[in-house]
Amino acid sequence: MGKSAKRKKEKKADFQKPKYKVGKAKPKASNVTDTSFKAKSIVMGQQSLSTTAPDVIQQFKHSLSVASSSKSDKQRQEGLAHLTGQLSQQPPVNPVGTHTLLAKLLPLITDSSTPVRKQLLKLFEQLPGEQVRYAVEQATMFIRAGLTHLSADISNDALNFMEWLLDAADVDLVSCPGGWIKTLNTFCAMLGWSAAAGKDGWSSGGRGAAVRGGKASLNQSRAIEILAKFLAAGFVPEEAVAEDEGDWDHLYRLPRDPNAFAYLNLTGMRRDEDGEMYADRESRQRVFHRRFLTHVVKGVEAAKKEGGTSGRAAAGLDQLLRSDMGMGDYEPLGAMDTEDLLDLW
Amino acid sequence: MPKRKVAALEKIDADFPSLQNKIRRDPKSYVDDFRRQWDQYESQREIFLVAPTTATAEATEHFENLVNLIAHVADCYPEATATFPDDLKTMLSLHHAVLGSELREKLVGSLIILRRKEIIDTANVLTCLFPILVSSPSKTFRAQLFSKILNDMRNSNARSINHPLNRTIQTVLYNLVTADRSSPRAIWAIKLTRELWKRQIWTDAKPVDVMKEACLSENEKVVVGGVRFFLGGDKEREELEDEESDDDVDLSKIKHQMTINKKSRKQKKQYSKAVDKLHKQEQKKHKPHPLNFSALHLLHDPQTFAEELFSRHLQSTKNKLSLDTKLLVLQLVTRLIGLHKLTVVALYSWFIKFLTPRQQSVTSFLASLAQGTHNLVPPDALEPLIQKIANEFVSEAAANEVAAAGLNSIREICARQPLAMTETLLQDLIQYRKSKDKGVMMAAKGLLSLFREVDPELLKKKDRGKDATIGLKDGSLLIRKFGHEDTGEIEGLDLLEKWKEEEKKRKRVERGLPEDAASDEEDVASEDDGWEVDSDDSSDSGGWINVSDDEEEAPVPKKRKAGEKDVDDQENGDQKEEDKAEEQRLSKLATTTILTPADLAKLQELRAAAAIDRAMGRNRKKDDANASRHQDDGLTAEQIEAPAKLRKLTKEERVALAKEGRPDRNEHKSTQAINKSKKEAAGKSTSNKEKARKKNFLMTLGKAKSKQKRSLVETRKVLKAHVEKSTRGGRRRNGA
Repeated sequence: MGKSAKRKKEKKADFQKPKYKVGKAKPKASNVTDTSFKAKSIVMGQQSLSTTAPDVIQQFKHSLSVASSSKSDKQRQEGLAHLTGQLSQQPPVNPVGTHTLLAKLLPLITDSSTPVRKQLLKLFEQLPGEQVRYAVEQATMFIRAGLTHLSADISNDALNFMEWLLDAADVDLVSCPGGWIKTLNTFCAMLGWSAAAGKDGWSSGGRGAAVRGGKASLNQSRAIEILAKFLAAGFVPEEAVAEDEGDWDHLYRLPRDPNAFAYLNLTGMRRDEDGEMYADRESRQRVFHRRFLTHVVKGVEAAKKEGGTSGRAAAGLDQLLRSDMGMGDYEPLGAMDTEDLLDLW
Repeated sequence: MPKRKVAALEKIDADFPSLQNKIRRDPKSYVDDFRRQWDQYESQREIFLVAPTTATAEATEHFENLVNLIAHVADCYPEATATFPDDLKTMLSLHHAVLGSELREKLVGSLIILRRKEIIDTANVLTCLFPILVSSPSKTFRAQLFSKILNDMRNSNARSINHPLNRTIQTVLYNLVTADRSSPRAIWAIKLTRELWKRQIWTDAKPVDVMKEACLSENEKVVVGGVRFFLGGDKEREELEDEESDDDVDLSKIKHQMTINKKSRKQKKQYSKAVDKLHKQEQKKHKPHPLNFSALHLLHDPQTFAEELFSRHLQSTKNKLSLDTKLLVLQLVTRLIGLHKLTVVALYSWFIKFLTPRQQSVTSFLASLAQGTHNLVPPDALEPLIQKIANEFVSEAAANEVAAAGLNSIREICARQPLAMTETLLQDLIQYRKSKDKGVMMAAKGLLSLFREVDPELLKKKDRGKDATIGLKDGSLLIRKFGHEDTGEIEGLDLLEKWKEEEKKRKRVERGLPEDAASDEEDVASEDDGWEVDSDDSSDSGGWINVSDDEEEAPVPKKRKAGEKDVDDQENGDQKEEDKAEEQRLSKLATTTILTPADLAKLQELRAAAAIDRAMGRNRKKDDANASRHQDDGLTAEQIEAPAKLRKLTKEERVALAKEGRPDRNEHKSTQAINKSKKEAAGKSTSNKEKARKKNFLMTLGKAKSKQKRSLVETRKVLKAHVEKSTRGGRRRNGA
C-alpha cells in the first residue's frame, strides 16, 4: 500500500541540492572538520622522537624483541637479519648473551614462514659452539618438535637445525637428559621406522615417506643422513673426547661442563627411561641395541632396496652401524641390564 | 622467494580435522601419521611444561590442536596413548592457574572426551576436576568446570544409578565440607549436592548429611547455602518434576502442520520424535512413583542437629551472622523442632528479647516461634512468651497491623499448644473482636473460634457458642492434657463402616424386609461377590460386636437433625452411650476384619468424596484451614501478617490496579492507534476496512462516478452478485 509521504521525502533528501537563503549562514556539510581549537604544542601519542639515534645495544635488543614477538613475517625476518649482521661482526656484538638469545629465538624453529626459518638458521650458525652447549637441552626440545611437525617444510628445516646442533655441540646433545632416546624416537617416527608398525602383522609399507614425491624423498634421504650423523656422534669412542689435558687437573677445579651434576637429578622431576641421561658410549649402545636396532636395520634394508638418494644415504648408515665406530664392536651382555633390574623393582 | 606450490595430498594432510577423520576411519593405515603427531605432542608438551606461562599464542594453539586430535583418536591406539589421560590430569592440576583460558578449556574438554570414550572412568575425572574447581581463581573456569562435573554426574547416572561413583563423590564432598569449617570452598559441595538433589539423582541420606555438616560450618555463605537447601530444596525438586511433566507434545498440531507444510525428512523426524516422547511420557505415568523422602525426614539425629545449630549460630554471642542469615537458621531450627517434635527448651527463653514490635522483621520471628511449637513443648515455657506478645503487640495503643500480627501469632502458637494460654489473658484478647479494624477483628475472632474447638472452658459461657456448649455438656468434647497423643487409625475407616451399614439396609429394603434387623439374619441374605462375602462374614462372626440394647430404636445416631437438639436429658444420656458404643465398634472394624481390595478401593473413594465435601463447605469445621496446611510446609511471615493486607488500598495501589492490563500510555495516542501498532509489531496484517481506507483516492474515484450512473437493472445485478458471492464464500470460494 501507499508509503507515507514523509518516508518518501526522507529517501529523496540525500539527492537534493541544499537551498541557500538570503541572510542565513550556509548549512554545514555533514563531513565538516571543526578547526576552531587552538593548541600551543602537538603531542604525538605513540612515537618517540629524539635527535640522537639509539645505541647499538638498544638496537640489538629492539630487533631481538621484534624477531621473537612480531606478528608480521617480514618484520621477524628483518629483525633476525639485523641480529645476524651484528653477530657476524668481528668481534661479534652480543649484549644479551647466547643463552638468552637462544631462549628467545628457539621457538622460531617451528615458525610458519620459510624465510624466517632460513634467516634463523643463518643466525644460529654465527653463534659460538662452546656457548651453544649450555642450551642444548632446550634446543633439542624445539628441534624435535620441528622434526615431527605436520608441515613438511618445517620438518625439512628442522633437519637443518639438527645438523647445526650436531656441528655445534654433538657430545652434549647425545648425553643430555632425553637427548638420546627421545631424539631417536623422533627420528623413527619421522621415518616411519616405528616400533609399533608390524607388531600385529600389519605394515604400512613405509607409506609415510612414499606418499610424498619429489622433495619428500629428498627429505627422507636428508633425514637418514642426519640420523647417521647423530648416531656417529653418539657412538664416538670416549678416548677421543677426553684426555686432552692432565689427568689430575680437573679433580681440584670446579667442573666447567654445562649442568655438571645433572646426572644426579637433584631438583627435577623423576625421569623415565626416555628422559634419562645416557652419558657414555656403552650405555647408549646398549639402549640403542635394545630398542631401536631391529627397526632401524629393517628400515635401512627397505630404503636400500628403494635406491635413489635415500638408498645411498641408507647405505651410509648401514656402513656406520656395521663398522667399529658404530655398533660393530658391541656385544650384548648375557646378564641383565640395570634397567631391567629397575623395571623389576 | 616464490611461494612453493603445495601438492594436493600434502595440503589435505596438513590440517588436523581431516587427519583426525582419516585416522578414525582407518587407524591401522595411518599409524605412522599418528606416531608422528604423538611425538609432536610429546615434544610440544615438554616445551610447554618448561615454561607454561610464556608460550606464544601460536604455540599454544598448535598444542591445543594436538591435544584435541589425540583425544579424539585415543581409542584407536590404546597402548600408545596410555599415558595421555594422566598427562592431561597432571598438566591441569599443576598449571590450571596459569594456563590460558582456551587451552585450559580444551584440556578439560579432552578429558571429558576420553571419559565419553570410556578410556577413563568418571570417578577418575571427577577426582581430578573437583580439586581444581575448588581452588581455581578464575570465575569462568569454575563455572565451566561445574557444569562439566554436573553433566558428567548426570550422564553416568542416566541409565541406572551409579552407586559406587555417587558414594565416592559424596564422600569427597563430605570431606570437603568437614575438612575446613571456616573456608568458603564448601560452597561448591553445596551447589553440586543441591543440583543433584533437585534432579533426583541423589535421594538418600548421605547428601543430606553433607548439607547438615554445611549448616554447621563457620562460614556464613556456606551456612546460608546449607540452610536454604533444607528450607527450599524439596520444593525445588517438586517444581522441577512438575515442569518436566508439563512440557507436553501436541501431536495433533504436528500432524496438522505436516498436512500443510512441505513434506521433508526433517518433518518426519520431528514427528517420530514427538511420538517417542509421548510414549515415554505414557510409560512414565504408569511407573510407580519413586519414594522420595524430604531432606528434613532423612536427617539423622535431628535433635542434636537442632541443638547444635541453635547453640552455634543463634545462642552464642561470638559469631557475627547477619540478621537475615540468623532468621534463616532460626527458621530451620524451628522447622525441625516442629516437624520432629524436638525439645530445645533454651530456644523459648532466647526468643523473648526479639518479641517487640520494633524488632526488625519481627513477623518472621513470630512465625518461627509458632513453627517451633508443638504439643510436647512445656506450656510454662511458652506462657511468658505469649504474655509478652500480648503486652507488646496487642494493646489499644499499638497500630492495627501490629495488634493483628500479635493476635495471629498467638493463635498459631495456641493451635499447636493450647495449654499455654491462661483464662484471663484469653478473655482479654477476645475483647478485640469488637475492634474497628478488620484485621484485628478477624484475628481475634480466629482466636475465639480456635478455643471454642480446643478448650472452651477457658472462655466465658456466653462466648462458647452452641457446639462447644453442647460438647462440654455431653462430654464429647475432649480436652487435651499435656502429653496426650491420639491413637493412630486408618483415615476414613468410619466412613467405610457407615457406608457398609447403609448398603446392607438398602438391600434389605429392596427385598422387602424391615430396615433394621438383628445381624444374624444377614448371613443368609447376603449375596455379594466373593470378596464382599468374606468381609461381611468375618465382621459378623462371633459375639465381638458390642451390641447395645437400644440399637433398635435409634440405629443412625449421626443423622441427627438440627431440630432434635432440644431433647430431654434422658434421651441425651442415651445418645451418649450410643456414641461410645459406636466408637468402639468403629475402631474394631480394622482389627476384626481383613479389608479386601474392594474395600480399600471404596475407602479411597469415600475419602476423596469427604475431602471434596469439606472443600465445598458442607459440614465445614472451623479448624480446616489448619488441617489442610501440611505439616511439612513451614509457617511464613506472610501468614502472620496476611490479614494486615485487608486494610484499605492506598491511592497509588488503586491506580496501579486500574492500570493493570491496559495499553501503555507513554505516548499519547488513541487506543486504536496503539492497538494497530501492537498488531503491526506482532507481524499481523491490517483489516480489510483499514486497507479500503488507505486506498488511493484516485483509484476509488472511477468506481464512485460509475456507481452514480448505474441503471436500476445494473444495480440489481450488482446487488445480486454480491449476495451470491457472499453465500459462495467470497471470490476465492472459501470453504467450497
